[in-house]
Amino acid sequence: MSTAHRRTRLATGLTLVAAAVAACGSSAGDPSKTLEVTMWGGSAQRAHVDTYIKPWAEANGLTVSEDSPTDYAKIKAQVDSKNVTWGVTEVEPNFSETACASGVLTKLTPEVKQAATDAGINPGYINDCAIPNLSYAFTIAYNTDTFADNHPKTWAEFFDTQLFPGKRGFWKYATGGMFEAALLADGVPADQLYPLDLDRAFRKLDTIKQDIVFYETGDEQAQLVASGEAPLVQAWNGRIYHAAKEGQPVANEWGQNLVSYDQVVIPAGYPNTDLAMKWMTAFVGDVQGQAADAEASAYDPINPKAMELVDPEVAKELATFPANQAQAATTMNYKYWAENYNTATERLNAWALS
Amino acid sequence: MTQTLEAAADEQADRTGPPNPAPRVRRWARLEFDNWALLLLPLLGFLTLVFVIPLLLLLSKSFTDPAVGLANYSDILTNPLYLKVLRNTFVTAITVTLVTVVIAFPFAYLMTLATPFWRGVMMIAVLIPFWTSLLVRSFALVLLLRDTGVINTVLDSVGVIDEPIPMLRHLSGVMFGMVQITLPFAVLPLYATMRTIDRRLLLAAESLGARPSVAFWKVFVPLTIPGVFAGLILVFIQALGYYITPALLGGPQNTMIGQLIVEQVSTVLKFGFAAALAVVLLGSTLILLAIASRFVDMKKYLMGSK
Repeated sequence: MSTAHRRTRLATGLTLVAAAVAACGSSAGDPSKTLEVTMWGGSAQRAHVDTYIKPWAEANGLTVSEDSPTDYAKIKAQVDSKNVTWGVTEVEPNFSETACASGVLTKLTPEVKQAATDAGINPGYINDCAIPNLSYAFTIAYNTDTFADNHPKTWAEFFDTQLFPGKRGFWKYATGGMFEAALLADGVPADQLYPLDLDRAFRKLDTIKQDIVFYETGDEQAQLVASGEAPLVQAWNGRIYHAAKEGQPVANEWGQNLVSYDQVVIPAGYPNTDLAMKWMTAFVGDVQGQAADAEASAYDPINPKAMELVDPEVAKELATFPANQAQAATTMNYKYWAENYNTATERLNAWALS
Repeated sequence: MTQTLEAAADEQADRTGPPNPAPRVRRWARLEFDNWALLLLPLLGFLTLVFVIPLLLLLSKSFTDPAVGLANYSDILTNPLYLKVLRNTFVTAITVTLVTVVIAFPFAYLMTLATPFWRGVMMIAVLIPFWTSLLVRSFALVLLLRDTGVINTVLDSVGVIDEPIPMLRHLSGVMFGMVQITLPFAVLPLYATMRTIDRRLLLAAESLGARPSVAFWKVFVPLTIPGVFAGLILVFIQALGYYITPALLGGPQNTMIGQLIVEQVSTVLKFGFAAALAVVLLGSTLILLAIASRFVDMKKYLMGSK
């Protein structure tokens, strides 16, 4: 546990990560008939793999091997060392944009793009290397005990500590929706958010700095709002829905929600790229699989037709449910974030430290 | 080859020669070529493979990624953010080290006085947390320390406080967590040192007229200094590299350099910059140890006196 050991771990991690992943990545069966899948882990990954990857793989005589969570450093290390063991990999759209441009990801085949267009998938969610696999929303999550009668319904109210006292939780992550929320709270019209005025966002954040609590993981997020420590949290709708279903005193407010999505990509040089492309082609049209996933994970299907098959009880908790979609402020602009992620991250760190 | 002969000659001298100690140089030569030293070879090979080579790669990466030159280092030295994190890291590590040793000293002392049963209990109290995962303990502390956690709820319900005491996401939470984790690393060497101190020296001092407190401070405490230094160094060096505990228990203001390195690698993908940060951390640790070694005989305290 000494620093020396940690440093060794970091260094060997950088150089030997490919070997290590290779050792645990492809365990079962014929390597040319195995599709490697890496996602963010937990119950969501369980749901995704069981509903829309395993059934397809089994129908095609393939096995699936899994890893988690996605780690951009590992993707880069695998590609740099030309020992790629991750196939279908779930990432954030700003990463897919920059990694695609720098050659870390495989470009989609025309078949995949055609299939995605035919399936009616939002073209804004697709780029040269990525198709979406789910969408969700940043909502205002609130503790239903603390705010039994009245709770914030806009980001302006979320920032109003006079009217709604208590701590506010934000994800300590530049693309985590905090700047968008601050600018909306400060009166910037939703259609003029991008490019973000970061100076103005930080000035707005300054006004509630003493009341901000940062979280880093989804578990912390749910715990903060459920325990009442931060009765208001900018949250991922699915997490809060699950916590509420488990009996925690939490709920989503959909006012001015910020729509977001995840994508799947294939790291450049993955040996079974053809299998991964075939799965992508099938996935975009797999309405049954996507609907089953939405019911299990509370994340939205990306094929509009799949929404019709989702249990209505679950559907009303999803970001693309018409009533929720109608209240959405905007969709996160990941083209902006691809260009500004590093500088915004640095500013966020400096601001939080001071 | 010549040295092997020398060693053989040395051995010869030992068998036949008079019992006076061999000259110092000779002793070193024999030490190096004792056959038992061969046992070190696998360890050296292993260390080279998993420590020396990666360390060299890391060093070269810090000068070559993304471009050859000193850009990574000048970024660190010119950006107040990184200097602040570096300062935070050292201030936190130093504070944690001092608090740990101040708590560990009386604990280890009591262990030497306790009956075997209570000594066992105290030892277990130190070792069980030591064997428990750092992550588990840090999460457990979250439940204790947060505003709606056990400590604040209890204090509030008995009326001691009106407002929750800020502990989580605060320096005090980081201190709490880190001290709890580093405590065994100070208690064990301190106890090992104190156990070997002959208590009759205290009796002798008292028989010569020293009050018990004077005997303690003038006789016992100086003899514990090797253990104190071993504890200080063990705790300080590992405290510098912490990142899970400050990430879970501290706020953004308590960011330590370990967290910054993780972030540079895994979210911004600046491997070269992360390598440079790691080199700066390693370098400043070594410099600090070098300064310390000017004032105390490191070799004596770390390797035992001969």
